Amino acid sequence: MTTTTVARDTFRVFGTTAVLLVTEAGALSQARALADAELAAVDQACSRFRPDSELTALNAARGATVTVSELFADLLAAALRAARLTDGDVDPTCGQALAGLGYDRDFDQVRAGGPASLATVPGPVPGWRRVELDDEYRQVRLPAGTGLDLGATAKAWASDHCAGLIAGHLGCGVLVSLGGDLAVAGPGPAEGWRVRVTDDHAAGPEAPGQTVTITEGGLATSSTTVRTWTAGGRQVHHIIDPATGGPARVCWRTVSVAAGSCVDANTASTAAIIRGEAAVSWLDEAGLPARLVRPDGTVVTTAGWPADNTPAVSP
Amino acid sequence: MSGYDVRDAAARRDEGVRTVTKFTWRAGVAGVICSALLGLAFGHHADTQTAQQRQQGILVPSQPPGPGHGAGQVTSGAT
Repeated sequence: MTTTTVARDTFRVFGTTAVLLVTEAGALSQARALADAELAAVDQACSRFRPDSELTALNAARGATVTVSELFADLLAAALRAARLTDGDVDPTCGQALAGLGYDRDFDQVRAGGPASLATVPGPVPGWRRVELDDEYRQVRLPAGTGLDLGATAKAWASDHCAGLIAGHLGCGVLVSLGGDLAVAGPGPAEGWRVRVTDDHAAGPEAPGQTVTITEGGLATSSTTVRTWTAGGRQVHHIIDPATGGPARVCWRTVSVAAGSCVDANTASTAAIIRGEAAVSWLDEAGLPARLVRPDGTVVTTAGWPADNTPAVSP
Repeated sequence: MSGYDVRDAAARRDEGVRTVTKFTWRAGVAGVICSALLGLAFGHHADTQTAQQRQQGILVPSQPPGPGHGAGQVTSGAT
């Protein structure tokens, strides 16, 4: 079998590592330019930590109706769709809950800041159904005191859009990975894109885990072990259970899901972390191939995920 | 009762039975037609709903990931 030569670019964005792969070396710089423009626009729209973002303005609107850009409306619609498809398990109204746990600035700064005290007693989040979005007039209203966080979907949404944009403009095969949320588009390598599924997206290509190939859609991994910090004297992570307003109970260390798009893959992987043991039957019934890793390293797979021939990962 | 009265009463009874029978058949046929129409209408609606729900659900890949060997070109893990 002939192996397609792939050109690669790696850069920092959204406080994480981005990887851009294209099947035509000559297209790499143009692909990067397209990705940079799209990612800058997404960051301007929905960064929770930029004082000039649309999200920051909306969160500070105290119940007033705010007119937003078409891009922000699309990003919010994607977040609300994720909430609806998961019966509210992936809820964008967890911004205050995250801030209450000390995650109120860029994550590198959270870690560098040392242990945080708990600013609020966790409680159920306000709930996605209270977010009013008028698609036609691009108007949004949040109840006063509600903080949006689009982190569960925006990065994956951006991966999908960058990949589609690059393949559409340049006609080559492309893979876009933003912090391990990856999307592919266009005519990819005949053998598929090789993806190492592991705990930490920053780990090397031979880190403990499993190598799989994908040819379409997206693949995302959610984990309770990487984005962690100390708050209120205990280790916490960033995946909020909307029912409690606190970090989801740890049933799975890592969940990776393949879906028709990256945003759907990430929606499912995040929901699976929150659903715990019930995630296995949910993913199976939905026909979503997934790899779930328990804290002790035991692997469970669903819906046609390929067999893992590598030894179990040590915790 | 005269013979004429008996024959007249029997004729009226038979006429009544025919009328009721005719009505019952018409009502039955109308019921069957209405049921078929309702079935078509709601059956189509149910099909549409199912298709919409399928379309609105989480998108499933047309094929699951395949087995891979060696190092990955890229890593999928949490941030």
